[in-house]
Amino acid sequence: MGNDDHALIRRVLVGEKDAYGALVVRHSQAMFRVAFRITENEADAEEVVQEAFMRGYHNLGNFDARANFRTWMYRIAMNCALDVLQKRKAQTTVIIAEEYDGEETTVQLTDSAAGPDRLLLSQEVEARRQAAMEKLTATERIAFVMRHMEDRSTEEIAGALGIAPNSAKQAVFRAVQKLRQSLAPLWVRS
Amino acid sequence: MKHLTEEELIDHYYSEDSDKAEVEAHLRTCTPCACAYEELGKLLANVRAPEAPARDSEYGARVWQSIQRSLEPYPAKQKRKFFYFPQLAYAAACLLLLAGAFLAGRMWEHVHTRSTVAANPQQAKERVVLFVLDNHLDRSERLLVQLNHSGAEGETADLPLQAEARQLLTDNRLYRQSVAQSKDPLLNAALDHLERVLLEVANSPDELSSADIARIEQEMNTQGLLFQIRVLRTRVSEQKQNAQAIQKGAVL
Repeated sequence: MGNDDHALIRRVLVGEKDAYGALVVRHSQAMFRVAFRITENEADAEEVVQEAFMRGYHNLGNFDARANFRTWMYRIAMNCALDVLQKRKAQTTVIIAEEYDGEETTVQLTDSAAGPDRLLLSQEVEARRQAAMEKLTATERIAFVMRHMEDRSTEEIAGALGIAPNSAKQAVFRAVQKLRQSLAPLWVRS
Repeated sequence: MKHLTEEELIDHYYSEDSDKAEVEAHLRTCTPCACAYEELGKLLANVRAPEAPARDSEYGARVWQSIQRSLEPYPAKQKRKFFYFPQLAYAAACLLLLAGAFLAGRMWEHVHTRSTVAANPQQAKERVVLFVLDNHLDRSERLLVQLNHSGAEGETADLPLQAEARQLLTDNRLYRQSVAQSKDPLLNAALDHLERVLLEVANSPDELSSADIARIEQEMNTQGLLFQIRVLRTRVSEQKQNAQAIQKGAVL
């Protein structure tokens, strides 16, 4: 597929715009999935996919022929996703801060009863996870999503983020630490 | 025993650790580390990726439809270069033509020089032989004509005729030896015949009487020799002209 991607890229660069359509069709699903896992919003994910492919097209002249097109597109999609996240960050931060104060959470999660309360707990868990994710830096969030949810190797993460493999590993480590700090009491008590 | 760090536990969870077997062995024997690892696993196992809404098989095509109108095709690189830099293209073409002409000239000259040089050893030798042979035959013809005239007019042959015969005799020996390998029977025979006549004239007494000349003419058949030499001269002249034409053609 890599060679096919490169052949399509060469055609695009000599004026065959439609060859880029084949690349878009081939990689859209994967881009949407990862965009959604980062943004956790369907509309935002679609916006990310479109924006990523547009940026990819405009920067195709800078594409390194030795690189992997999907990894390269991941990196662009990450940047687009981050832009989207930053737009809504202020609102989200305020909401999370108001809803999930530390003391309040402890009180809510001590109840392990069944029925509506259990459903409420499940919602709380999900909300807590989202809140914990929001606390991650952009690099940590992307590194964690790629490592934990996309099952990407450290090298792939490093390639997507444009950082050293050890830095990518450290980003995953810090993300897990933060998530653990936020979520560990929840699992113990529930 | 040293406990595993949190980083090592995370590495092990994601199978990023380099000493996996050693970590597993440690986890089997170290309860605190095993508990910490179990807690970490429980935590991370419950951090599930949000399920992305399914996209049908036409999703990619729709994405392309939505963005393709805003994308300008990349210009073809060769056309763009020529379009933006026509002067450079023309200048390059002119330079290319000049360079091509120069190289063609050099190659032509090289080939020509080579052929001329290659042909030289054989052709030059032939041209020299033809030239000197023609000259020699010319002088021999004149001597024979003088000899015949002297005999016909009853005069005595003077010293210069004998001196000329001696000189021609020396030259004739050389030419005869030179053409001996040429497989030209007419030329060989003529030179051989000429040598005997010249020898006779050169070795005669100081003043050849008309009787001596008549004897030589009769015995040596100088009239026949003169005819042979004239025929040879004609042939040699033609060969000289052919050789000169070939030389001119090679030069051109």
